[in-house]
Parts: sequence; structure tokens; C-alpha cells
Amino acid sequence: MEFSELQRPSSTIAHSYHGAQQLVRLRSKSVVSNQNGPQFNWGSPPSEGGEEGDSGPPKDLRERPMTMRLKRAIREVQQMRVPVVTSWQSWKRSKAKSLSRFRADAGGVMSYVALWRKALHKIGGHFGGGVQSYFIFLRFLVVLNFLSFLLIAGFILIPSIVFRSTSTSNMTVDSTGPEVCKVYDPNLQGLVVFYQYFLDLLSGTGFMEYSYMFYGYYNNTVAESSGFHYNLPLAYLLTSVFYFAFCLICIIARMGSALRVAVATGSGAAGSYSKMVFTGWDYGCQGDRATKLKQKSIHYQLQVDLEEERLQKKALSLTLGQTVGLCSLRIFLMLISLALIGGAFFGIFKATVFSQVQVGAEGILGLFWVYLPSIVITTGNFVVPFMCDQIALFERYSPSTTIIVALFRSVFLRMISLGVLLFTLWSQITCFKDSPKCELCQYNNKEYPCWETRVGQEMYKLALFDFLITIAMLILVEFPRRLFVDHYSCVLTRWVGRQEFLVPPNVLGLVYGQTVVWTGALFCPLLPLINTLKFFILFYCKKVTLFSNCRPAVKTFRSTTSTIFFLVVLLFGWGLALVAMIYSLAQIHPSMSCGPFRSLTMMWSIVPNTFYTLSLTTQDFIFYMGSQAFSIPLFIFSCVVLCYVAALATVYGKSVDLLKAQLKLEGRDKQFLVKQIEELSREMGVPTRDQLDTFDTGAAN
Amino acid sequence: MGTTASQLGKDLLSEYQELTFLTKQEILLAHKRYSELLSKEDRNLTSVPMEKVLSLPELKSNPFRKRICHVFSTSDMKDGSLTFEDFLDLLSAFSDSATLEIKSHYAFRIFDFDDDGTLDGGDLEKLVNCLTGKTEDTRLTPEEMRQLISNILEESDIDKDGTVNLSEFQHVISRSPDFVRAKSLFCRTA
Repeated sequence: MEFSELQRPSSTIAHSYHGAQQLVRLRSKSVVSNQNGPQFNWGSPPSEGGEEGDSGPPKDLRERPMTMRLKRAIREVQQMRVPVVTSWQSWKRSKAKSLSRFRADAGGVMSYVALWRKALHKIGGHFGGGVQSYFIFLRFLVVLNFLSFLLIAGFILIPSIVFRSTSTSNMTVDSTGPEVCKVYDPNLQGLVVFYQYFLDLLSGTGFMEYSYMFYGYYNNTVAESSGFHYNLPLAYLLTSVFYFAFCLICIIARMGSALRVAVATGSGAAGSYSKMVFTGWDYGCQGDRATKLKQKSIHYQLQVDLEEERLQKKALSLTLGQTVGLCSLRIFLMLISLALIGGAFFGIFKATVFSQVQVGAEGILGLFWVYLPSIVITTGNFVVPFMCDQIALFERYSPSTTIIVALFRSVFLRMISLGVLLFTLWSQITCFKDSPKCELCQYNNKEYPCWETRVGQEMYKLALFDFLITIAMLILVEFPRRLFVDHYSCVLTRWVGRQEFLVPPNVLGLVYGQTVVWTGALFCPLLPLINTLKFFILFYCKKVTLFSNCRPAVKTFRSTTSTIFFLVVLLFGWGLALVAMIYSLAQIHPSMSCGPFRSLTMMWSIVPNTFYTLSLTTQDFIFYMGSQAFSIPLFIFSCVVLCYVAALATVYGKSVDLLKAQLKLEGRDKQFLVKQIEELSREMGVPTRDQLDTFDTGAAN
Repeated sequence: MGTTASQLGKDLLSEYQELTFLTKQEILLAHKRYSELLSKEDRNLTSVPMEKVLSLPELKSNPFRKRICHVFSTSDMKDGSLTFEDFLDLLSAFSDSATLEIKSHYAFRIFDFDDDGTLDGGDLEKLVNCLTGKTEDTRLTPEEMRQLISNILEESDIDKDGTVNLSEFQHVISRSPDFVRAKSLFCRTA
């Protein structure tokens, strides 16, 4: 307990407080001025274990948080040190340097090529990560649809065009069955009224019906010419199946990368206050007004979260009677919202049935009947969520739970309404209840001589109507609202305020559009192309309305968790479309009058038919792959791999917790020791830490 | 050091490229902007006073502008004036390609209002006030501020010493993927 020994621990503390003293001769002017208390000296470089002999790539120097002067000095030292390396190593190092420079330049060029990169950057800077994630999702869907179109064009469209134009040495197998089933006359009139073209364009009939647009135009040609064999029906089926698989792989890959980020950064809830405060400021160049808005939104966000925490604490202290009352209220309101949604479904069912009955009506009224299911669906999608929002005000959930509940209700409504539409269509085609109509051809050939084309037309109409409604909303509601709010100032305008760009409803619109495309792609091969154009135009329209009409959202949406949520909802849509496709492929008899599958009893049967034409060894091999001797060991192996990965993940989680606890203990030990030292030094009359600092800086001066 | 020269030498340019995260175009643009800040009479000065730097449109409405100038300034008088190289350091730290460590290091220094190497309650309170705005109606109430600061310390202070030091700060930042995108200046085409 000598003075010198006591001196050492306290001086070590003083030194560690002043930072490590590495490369002292380079610190020319690192005087710590004693303005208000001891100042941390950031001027000295962090204590590393000396300089390595190999200078390494020049990037290392950029990553050190030092001033330019220090970095330059270190660089000079590094260059002065001539390491003893062979010419091979020096050549390798110079090549590595030029390669990294080339990569930097190439990265700069590629960033110009990436689609809409500057626009997304601008959107993110002005409106935040949540809105930007919507536009990134939109871009992903545009690229996905375009690649799908290339796939379909390559395997279905172009061969079909080629075969139709050459029409030599093609085999067209005629279908067996009653002659009346093979009657299909898609109204090829010579002279029509001029506005009929416009109506046909909107509803997919007339000149559009018998074209490459829809299933009915494709023939079941099997082209054979000098060793080249192309089975168009098989190509059609396999391309559709592969299209679904391709979309699934893209979505899962994207979700995987988002999940990896989410898992690495831990669960979103923990550390939310620190994250909000430390990362809340977006340093993009913003004017005064944008800065004030940003400050207001941060203020609002903090207040809301603090309020939510207080509410949670209060909710935990409710009495039993109050909780029972609250639960029963919530159940009652949930039943009301379910009843609303059920009512919407019933309306869609009735509208679809009625619309199918009204086929043949002329003019604008005919167009209205034809579009009736789409109109009812869109109306339902506006009215029902709005009413559910009003109900949610009474449910008294916390704000974040309210958003999630509202989103799930909307998703449910949208997907299932589409499903109800498909169900009614299918029940009409295969006449569930009315057997005599379908006895002859196994489908309702009177009303649907080519039912696949009709389904394709329905999907085409849904997609087009969705697009037209969005554009109409933009022009007729959002722009006038902005003009009204900006130029008049009364109580109403102040209450309504400027539009806010709500991300969840917009994303649901995108998912709905994509689900329609997936459902209809089998029957309308050009639908992915139409969707690419639709989403492409939608990007620019939404960008224009965002910058002209919307104010920055007060409540921001977290971007990584929201990306995962968007992709999960997209997967729901994909699943629905998959169910529809499987039902069409495996259950319904294809039309005998049109399409590539007219000679088969089931669309899927083309695959077994072709399979049996393969060589015997291939057949045996594929049978073996499907047999139990192969698949059960494969299944067991994948289970083992899964268990291993899961166990590894739990072990990592446990070790992280252990290390955190250890850090806490170390911190407490340090505090305890510091207290002990202060007590002892007070007893011994040794100068305290603060006095030691002034002494130290005085000596340095 | 060529700060007042009208053109940057080629060697100097490549050196700056190596020592910062900026591309060649960005360095030349920065040089142009910096020269504009120097008025005709101050041709001989090597550093720009803080008031001129704060007049840059990117920094004018940033609540942390004074702290940014203080952190990046290497002048002896601690008056926040920036030489051209300090200016490049500033832009490099805020550029898109800067690493997370650099950004978090400088963010920590900017948030450390009393320059003592840790973020204690006083620093956090000043930080929150900068974030929400200086006017009366955008400040949090004292109870909310207390609740917020205790929540932050509970989440970020791992060794429970009442302050957030650099490692704890970087730990919190590394778990937030939005951070890297947020800290970029010069959103105009540079």
C-alpha cells in the first residue's frame, strides 16, 4: 500500500482517460485545453499493436477515424518502411491496388445503370425509409414481371408465332368428343362501330379475344423438322409451372437477405429508444421547412412511444372486471368486422353470378355489367377497411397493435375477395349445382365455349380496372385535395389537411395486382408484360403524387421489418394463385374447341403422356427418384441438417446472453474498484483523479 | 497545401482519393465549393471561419451544424474553422461509401456535447432537444425527458456506469441497419 503503488492504478486510470500514446512523435499539436473539465483527446490514434509489416490495401487507412494530417503522416511512414518482399509480392500488391481502383470506378458506373437509383435516393432523403421501401418493392415487382415476360415470350410466344407463320410439318391433334363441344366462334366481325374497338380493348373481347393475348389462340402443335422437336402444349404447361417456381425463388431469396439483416440487428423492439435517438436524424440536405417537419415527426414519434409504454404499464394494472369487459368488447367488435367482411364476400359472389348472366349486353351498359365484379371488389376494398378503422378506435389496442390488426384485416379482405371471385367463376364453369349443362363436355360449353379465355379476360379486366382506378384517384382526388387545402383555409381544410402517403394500403394494392397476374398468367400469357408496363407507369405516377401532394408522414414505418412483411403478404398472394393454378391444371376438363390442351382430358396429362415416350432407362431413373427408397433417406437427412442449424442458432443466442451478463459484471467490478481506490486515496491524502488531470495538463504545457 | 490554388494537383488528387471515401468528381466539386466560401480578401487564409461554413445550404438547417464544425476542425483555437482537408474529412465521413465504424465514430463525437468521451445524461438531453427542435412546443416535458433518458440508458448502457461510451454506442448502432443510409450529405448530384 505504498504511495508509488497507489499512484500507478490512479495514473493508469488517468492515462487510459487520455487515450493511448501511440506514435507520439506524430502528435504535433495535441494539447488538451482545459476548458470545462477533462477533455478526451481524440487526436491520438487508437492503440493498435503496432503497424503490420505488410501495408495492405490502401483502404485500411481510410477506415481509421483520424484527421487528414495524421493519415498522411502514417502513409508516409508506411511508404518509408520498405518491407522485404519479393518482386512477385510487390507485383501482386500493385495489381490488387489497381483492381480495387477499377472496382470502385465500375461501381460508380453501375450505379448509374441501376433502375431509378437516383429517384429512390431522393425519395428516401425526403420521406424516409418506410416510403422508400414501398418504391423499392415496386421496382422489384417491375423487374420480376419483366423477367417472367421474357421467360414466357421465349418458350411460348415466339415458338407459337414461328409455327403459325411457317405452318409446315406441324401436327395438330384433333380432339375426340362430341362435335358440339368443338364449336368456338370468337366474333370475328368485318366491320364494327369505331368505339367498339375501345370497348373491346377494355374488356378483352372482339379483336383482342382471338389473339396471342389469350389462351384460346394457341394451337396444340407439335413441331418436328429434321431432328428438331418442339411440343408446344408441354412447353406451355412447363413454362407456367416454372414461372411460379421462379417467382417463389426470387421472393424467398429477397426475404432471406432481409431476414439476415433483421436477425443480425436483433429484434426490432429491443433498443428502440436508443436507435430512434441515435439514428433518427437523416443528414440529407433539407431546407428549413423540411427540417421543422422532421423535428416535429421525431417529437411525435417519441411522444407516442413513451405514451404507449405508459399505457402498457397501466394495462398491466387493470382489475379483473375491467379486463373481462375489455376482452368482451374486443371480441364483439371483431365479430362486427368479420360480419362486414362476410357481407363484402356475399356481394362479390352475387355480382359475379349476375355479371356472367348478363353476357351479350351492348354498349356502355354492357361494359358496366362486364366490369361489375371488379367494381364491387374495389368498392369493398375502400369501404370495409375504412369502417374497420372506425371500429378500431373503440377497441383501444396500443398504436402498433392497431396497425398490425388493420393490415391483417385488409390483407384478408383483399385476398379472399379475389378467391371468392375465382370460386364463383369456377363453379359457373364446372356447374356445381346445375348438372345437366355440363354433362356433355364436362364443362359448361354453352356459356363458355372457351372457358380459359374467359377466365383470362376476367383477370385482364381486374388488372386494367385496378390501374384505371388508381390513375383516376390520382387525378380526381389527390390533386384537387392539394389545391383545395393550399388555396382555401377554413376549418374543413385544416382538419382534412394534405394527403399523407400511407404505405400499407399502397403495398396491398401492389400485392393484389401481382396476385391477379399470377392467377391469370396461365390463361393470358401476355399479362406479365401488361403488368410490367402498368407498374412502370405507376412508379412515375406515385412519385409525382408523392412530391406534389403529400406531406411527410408523422408516423414512420420501420423499413427492414416492413420489407419482410411485404414479402410475406406477397407469398400469401402467390399461394392463392398456386391453388387456383393447381385446380385448373388437375381438375377441370380443358376446352375442346380451343387452346393447346384441346385433345386431353386434363391439362396435366400431357406430362405423363410425354413421359412414357422417353427411353426406358430415364423412366426407371425418375421412378427411382420418386420411390420410397430414395425420398425417405433424403427427408431424414434434411431433418438432421435442420436440427443441426437450429441447435447452432440456440447456442449462439445463449453465448450472446452469457457475454452480456459478463459485461455487466465487469462493469460493476470496475465501479467497485474505482470507489475503493477513491476511498483509499482520500484516506491516504493522495491527490484525487481531477487534481491529477490538471497536474498532468500543466506538465504537458 | 494547395487549398487556395485554383486547381488541385494530380498527385494531391490521387492522395485524397486514397485517404478518403470520395470519388474524383466529388473531391473536385468539394474544392470548387470550398473556394467559393473563401472570399477575395481571404485569399491567403488556409481555413474558412465557422460562420462561412455554416452558410452552406447542406448545413444551414442541420441542428448539429455547430457540433459538426467543432468535431472536424483541427485548428488550435478551437473556433470551428475548417481547412480544406478538414472539409474533405467531413465529406468523406458523410459519404455513401464510408464504413459503419467511421460514421458511428464521428456520430459519437458529434453527440458528445461536453467532449468528455462519454454520453452522459446531460449530453443525451441536449441531443434530444436538438432532435425535437428548440421551440417550446416541440420540446418534451421534463417527465417525458426523464423517462426517455432512463430508457435509453437502460437499453444502451451495458456496463451500467450511467454513461454510454464509444463501444456501447457502436454496439447499438450496428444493430440498426437504417443508420448507414441516413448519414449521408450531398444528396444533390455531386
